[in-house]
Amino acid sequence: MSGQKITIEYNDRVVRQFLLATVIWGAVGMLVGVLIAAQLNFWQLNFATPWLTFGRLRPLHTNAVIFAFVGNMMFAGIYYSTQRLVKARLASDFLSSLHFWGWQFIIVCAAVTLPLGLTRGKEYAELIWPINLMVVLIWVVFAVNFFWTLARRREPALYVAIWFYISTIVTIAMLYIVNHLSIPTSLLHSYPVFSGVQDALVQWWYGHNAVAFFLTTPILGIMYYFLPKAAERPVYSYRLSVVHFWSLVFVYIWAGPHHLLNTALPGWLQNLGMTFSLMLWAPSWGGMLNGLLTLRGAWHKLRTDPVLKFYAAAVTFYGMATFEGPLLSIKSVNALAHYTDWIIGHVHAGTLGWNGFMAAGLIYWLLPRLWNKPLYSTALANLHFWIGTVGILLYVAAMWTSGITQGLMLNATTEHGTVLAYPNFLDTLNTIRPMMLMRVIGGGLYLAGWFLLVYNFYRTVKGAAPVNGTIEVYDEAPAPDAKLSLAGTFFSAPTLFWFLAVGFSSMWMFGTDLVSTAGIVGAVACLIAAFALVPSRSQAWGGWYEKLLLNALPFTLLVFFAVVAGGLIQIIPTVLVQKAKNVEDRIQTPYTPLELAGRDIYIREGCYLCHSQMIRTLVPDILRYGDYSRLGESIYDHPFQWGSKRTGPDLARVGVKYPNVWHFRHMENPRAVSPGSNMPTYPWLFSHALDASVMPAKIKVQRLLGVPYGPRTAQQIFDSMDEQAKGIAKDLRTAGAYVDSDKEIVALISYLQTLGKSLPVITKSAPR
Amino acid sequence: MFKRLILEDSSIWYIITAFVTAATIFLTIAWRALRMPRAEADKFAHLPFTTDANERHDPHA
Ligand code: HEC
Repeated sequence: MSGQKITIEYNDRVVRQFLLATVIWGAVGMLVGVLIAAQLNFWQLNFATPWLTFGRLRPLHTNAVIFAFVGNMMFAGIYYSTQRLVKARLASDFLSSLHFWGWQFIIVCAAVTLPLGLTRGKEYAELIWPINLMVVLIWVVFAVNFFWTLARRREPALYVAIWFYISTIVTIAMLYIVNHLSIPTSLLHSYPVFSGVQDALVQWWYGHNAVAFFLTTPILGIMYYFLPKAAERPVYSYRLSVVHFWSLVFVYIWAGPHHLLNTALPGWLQNLGMTFSLMLWAPSWGGMLNGLLTLRGAWHKLRTDPVLKFYAAAVTFYGMATFEGPLLSIKSVNALAHYTDWIIGHVHAGTLGWNGFMAAGLIYWLLPRLWNKPLYSTALANLHFWIGTVGILLYVAAMWTSGITQGLMLNATTEHGTVLAYPNFLDTLNTIRPMMLMRVIGGGLYLAGWFLLVYNFYRTVKGAAPVNGTIEVYDEAPAPDAKLSLAGTFFSAPTLFWFLAVGFSSMWMFGTDLVSTAGIVGAVACLIAAFALVPSRSQAWGGWYEKLLLNALPFTLLVFFAVVAGGLIQIIPTVLVQKAKNVEDRIQTPYTPLELAGRDIYIREGCYLCHSQMIRTLVPDILRYGDYSRLGESIYDHPFQWGSKRTGPDLARVGVKYPNVWHFRHMENPRAVSPGSNMPTYPWLFSHALDASVMPAKIKVQRLLGVPYGPRTAQQIFDSMDEQAKGIAKDLRTAGAYVDSDKEIVALISYLQTLGKSLPVITKSAPR
Repeated sequence: MFKRLILEDSSIWYIITAFVTAATIFLTIAWRALRMPRAEADKFAHLPFTTDANERHDPHA
C-alpha cells in the first residue's frame, strides 16, 4: 500500500441536473396522460385542433414518461450510485454535461415534433429519424462516460447494480438501432426498412424489451443500491440478486411475441413468446422478495420514513405487474385481454407503481444529500405517498374492470357461437364509460401527488447550497484488473460451446436437407460434449466464471451475446421468409400513390393508437370484422399498422364496408353517424390541401424497399393521384358532400376504402 | 402461411431445444451463484456502504 491519501470529489452536479429534469418532465408527461385520458371521456377536449388531438398527444405522453421521466431518473440514479460503488468520479465532466444537455435537447425536439404529427408510426419509436440519430449519439456518450468511469475504478469488485446498468446500456443500444432502421424520404420523414410481420416482430421485440431494459433493469440496479442504503442494511441475499440478474438477461429478451398472440404470427413464435414469458414469473418474484426482505427489521421505520414507504410499495407493484405479465401471455387469457384496457391497467401498475414510486423514493432520499439540507416537509412526502397509492389503485382497478368487461362483451357470442351477443361496438364503449372516468380521477390524484413532490423539491432546494460528495482514497495505481483478457473470454470452453451451439442451430434452421441434418447432429453433439465435460472441468470453468465477474469488458460482451441470441433466433427466420414469393393464400395489392398518401395521414394522425388492423384467428374477431388477417395482407406495410389497442373497431377489412360519404361524414363528426362515439373530429383534413410533391420521393423509397411499383415519372404519379381523387370527389358530390379533390380527406378516404383488398395466391400444392 | 415457417411438427422441437438450452445455461449460472461462499457474498453485499466522507449522518434530522 503505497501512495498517499487523496480526496476525490464526485460529479454530483450532473446528478442534480438529471434529478431536476426528472421532476419537471415527470410532471409534463403525466399531465399529458391525464389530458388524453380525459379526451377519451370528453371528445370536445380534442379542441378540434391538430396538435391537441388524441392521436398526436398519446405518443407525446408515452415518450415523455418513458424517455424523459424514467430516462432522466435512471441517469441520475446510475451516475450517483456508480461513482460511489466504484470509488471514482465520472470520467469526463464534458461528456457528463453533453449527456445531460443532449438528452434534454432530444426531449424538446420530441415535444415539438410529435404534436406536429411528425412520426414514424411505431409505438414508443415514433420519433423521426434525425432525432433517432441524436438519441444514438447521446446513448454512445453515456456508454463511453460510464465504461470509462468503470475503467478508472478503485474498487475491483463490480456490485450487482452495475451489472444491471451494463445490461441496460448494451441491450437498449441494440434494440433501438434495429427497430429504428429506416430510409429517409425527406428531412422529416422516413419509412422503416421492415414491413408487415417482420416489422411487427421487430417492433414488439423492441417494445417489450424497452419495458425490460429501460423500465426494469436500470431501476432494479437502482433498487439494489438505494434500497439497502435507505434501509441501512445490506440486500437480503446477494446470491439471489445474481440469479435475478442472469435470469432476466437470458429470459426477458425472448418474450416479445407475447404481444402478437392469436395473430397471423407463426405459431412457433407465439409459443416461444408465451413459454419464456411464463418463465419470467420466477426471477421477477425472486427479485421482489429480495427487495422486500431487505426491509426486514426495518419495517418499523416505514411508518415515519417516506423513502422506505415508496420503496416498499414500488417493489410490491413490481411484483404485481410481473405476476400479471406472464398471466396475460397465456394465449387464452390474452384472447380476452389483448386490445383492451386491461393491458393499459397492467402497464400503469408497472409505470406508476414501480417506476413512479422508485423515482419518488430516489428523489426524497437524494434531495437532502445533494443539497445538504433536510427535506422541507416529511409530512408532505407522506401525503404524496398516500394520494399516489390511492390514485394507482383507482386507476388499476378501473382498467381491470373496464378491460375485462370489454373483452367479455366483444368476445361474447350466442346461438352456439355463431352470432355476436353485442354486435354494435359502441355498446361496449358506453358500458365502460364510468370506468374510463374513474381512470381520469385516479390519474389526477397521482398527478396531484407529484405536484406535492415538485413543491417539496422547490422548498428544499430554495436557498440551499449544493454539495458534492467526496471520498478519501489512497492514491495508487489502479488495481491490476485484466486477469482475463479478451482472448481469454472467447477461447474458453463455455463460450466456444455457446457459439458452436448457436452456429449449429442456425444451420439446422436455415439450411436445407443436408445442412439442416448436419446442424441437428452438431447441436446435439455439442450439448452432449458440454455435459460430459462438466464433471472434469467444472473447477476450471468455475474459475473462468469467477473472473468474469470482476471484468467489465468481457462481462459486457457476454451479456450482449446472451441478448442478441434471443432476438436473432426470432427475427432472422421471419425476415428471410417473408418474401412475396413465399406468401400463401392472399397477398396485399400495393397502394396507389393517393392511397399511400392517405396512409401517411392515417399514421400522422395516430389512428393506429385507437384502431387495430389485425383480425385474430378467433371466432368473435372473425364474426365481428371478417375473415382473419393473413400475413401476406400486410406484406407491403412500412410500417405495419396492426396496432395494440381497440378503443375503436378493427379496420383491417373496413374497405368497401361503407360508401365514401359515410367516411366523409364520420371524419367530419363521428357522432353524426355513430352516436356516442368518442373518436375525435378531424376538421383540418377538409381544409388542408394534400402535399403531393413529396410522393415521388416516397414511392422511390418504397420501391427500394421492395414494394412492386413499376418505374414511373413524377408526372405519372401526380396524374394518377389527381385522377383517383377526382373520382372520389365526384362520388362524394353525387351523395351530397362537397369537397375539392386536392384535400387530405380525399386521400384518407381512398386509403380506408382499400383496406382489406388483396389478391388470392395460386399455390402449386405447398411441400409438406 | 409461409411455407417454411409453419412446418409445425418440426418447430415444436425448435421450441423445446431453445427452452432446454436457455434453461441449462441459466441453471448453471444460478447454481454457481447460489454456491457463492458466504464471505464473498457478504463482501459484495456491503459494497454500497462506503459512505461519503462529508455525508451528514442523518440528513433527515
Ligand atoms: C380516440 C380513439 C380514436 C381515434 C384516435 C380514432 N378513432 Fe376511429 N373510431 C373510434 C371509435 C370509438 C369508433 C367506433 C364508433 C364510431 O364509428 O365512431 C371509431 C370508428 C372508426 C371507423 C368506422 C369503423 C367501422 O367499422 O364502423 C373508421 C373508418 C375510423 N374510426 C377511422 C379513423 C381514422 C381514419 C382515424 C384517424 C384519423 C381514427 N379513426 C382515429 C375511435 C378512434
